[in-house]
Amino acid sequence: MTPAPIILQTLIRARRRRLGARALAGYAFVAPSLLFLLIFALGPLLFTFYVSLHEWNMLTPVTAMPFRGLENYRYLLFEDPLFRQTFLNTLAFALGNVTLSTVFGLGVALLLNTRVAGRTIWRAIYFLPYVTSSVAVAIVWANLYHPSYGLLNGLLELLQQPPQRFLASLEQAMPSVIAVAVWHSVGYYMVLFLAGLQSIPAELYEAARVDGADPWRSFWLITLPLLRPTLLFVIVINTLASLQVFDLVFILTNGGPVNATTTLVLHMYRTAFEFTRMGRATAMAMLLFVVVFAITLIQLHLLRERE
Amino acid sequence: MSPRRLTLGGLLRLLLVYSLLTVGAVVMLLPFAWMVSASLMTPREVMARPLVWVPSVPQVGNFGALLQAVPFGRAYLNSLVVTLTVMAGILLTSSLSGYGFAKFQFPGRDVLFLVVLATLMIPPFLILIPVFYLVRQLGWVDTYPGLIVPNLVTAFGIFLLRQYMLSLPDELLDAARIDGAPEFTIYWRIVLPLVGPALGALAILAFVYHWNSFLWPLIVVRSPGMMTVPLALNSLRIYASSPEVINLQMAGATAAILPVLLIFALLQRWFVQGIALTGLKG
Repeated sequence: MTPAPIILQTLIRARRRRLGARALAGYAFVAPSLLFLLIFALGPLLFTFYVSLHEWNMLTPVTAMPFRGLENYRYLLFEDPLFRQTFLNTLAFALGNVTLSTVFGLGVALLLNTRVAGRTIWRAIYFLPYVTSSVAVAIVWANLYHPSYGLLNGLLELLQQPPQRFLASLEQAMPSVIAVAVWHSVGYYMVLFLAGLQSIPAELYEAARVDGADPWRSFWLITLPLLRPTLLFVIVINTLASLQVFDLVFILTNGGPVNATTTLVLHMYRTAFEFTRMGRATAMAMLLFVVVFAITLIQLHLLRERE
Repeated sequence: MSPRRLTLGGLLRLLLVYSLLTVGAVVMLLPFAWMVSASLMTPREVMARPLVWVPSVPQVGNFGALLQAVPFGRAYLNSLVVTLTVMAGILLTSSLSGYGFAKFQFPGRDVLFLVVLATLMIPPFLILIPVFYLVRQLGWVDTYPGLIVPNLVTAFGIFLLRQYMLSLPDELLDAARIDGAPEFTIYWRIVLPLVGPALGALAILAFVYHWNSFLWPLIVVRSPGMMTVPLALNSLRIYASSPEVINLQMAGATAAILPVLLIFALLQRWFVQGIALTGLKG
């Protein structure tokens, strides 16, 4: 026997043994997290769907909950007037919040993308609300909006304008909540837009200027088309976050007045933890998830397009 | 580059940019300024018309009264314990499995990674009820484990660190293996120090997210002694809706945002870069 094949064989065997050990090490590294996600995310996901087909108050054992088929879904879609209203409220909130924070976020990013002095400080100021807790933010704003003692009506008084009822008014409550949401998150979208703007090569603007394009034209012809991926990304993640809004409405209005600002997640929270109707609450979660999932798929599609 | 000539048009544009930025900055800062100012006012000053902007004598005692009204000190401690533990857990589990997915070949790896990505798409509200049921069955309602354990692993963190670790050179790890280093030692001594920036970004995001978290504690916590800071703020709101305690509410809000503000002031660049990085990577 020549030595060469022996050496080769030993090498192959050693390599195979090492790969085996390394594969085991790989499993060991990922196993804890996977097990955890199975117990605290994927399992619960299946359980949510299971409960949505049943009637359950969380007291009867899991094995004994009565099966109701699609009854919970039928009730929500065709009978529960509150579900329809909270769904529309959620859409209105998302529409207002996404539109305004996109426009303002982009606006501030454009201002900061010029040769402005102290850019870091400006950026910090606009970003500041985003890092503060939504509960603290909502408590501060609830007082700013206070009909008799709030800062805003105090300012209106200084300007000799009539006071407003803000959160206490049926018409103004939702716009007032949206205003807080925009104020809270606009800095986050500004940072994303700034990153997008800075990836646009400066030579393009230079070339456009040489060709005689004014800033307005180069915004429409260069900035906006090249910013499209960032723009779409911002709109999608903001929509996802807006559809799940809870903290702000819970503190600012608790859904009032007369459910004018009750959102889907707040309605679900009450159904589950105040009225312990877990079947209906999980069905609600599933229906909202369908909407959220569709948007996530669009997001993934857009992201793939970018790469 | 030629020196910029300051034309009248250029001057006007500059003026416009700074005016707009200033107006926006006032809108962003005014609520904070009023929060701090009102936290030091007497109730009479808070309610005064015409507006009082600055307290005549700063009522530092409001912060003491805050501790009387709700167990705010205890809530602070609870929030620190929960947030720091969750943050440490997320850093550990994300880096462990990020490393496993990035640098090891094993059957089923890509399918398992897809599973992780799939959980990334599960919004919190969707699994709220089952996770609460699970925590209740485990006897963890109103306890630290109830607040901490369900948050210890995030698909987002795993994804972030896996992406970052893909760029680590294999030769470096192989060299350590040839020297006979055990796999865990390689992870701990070589890999972790190399992914510092990603860990830093994840740590900041996790801290801020969990310090501010509200819905999950609202469901799990029952007794005042287990409240986190956002819950204490919420109970302060319920404690009395009368305008007499607006100053206490503002004192609570000021105290609540202090740690995050501190982190932000010290690590602004990291913070913003982390946001931009994670935001763009999706």
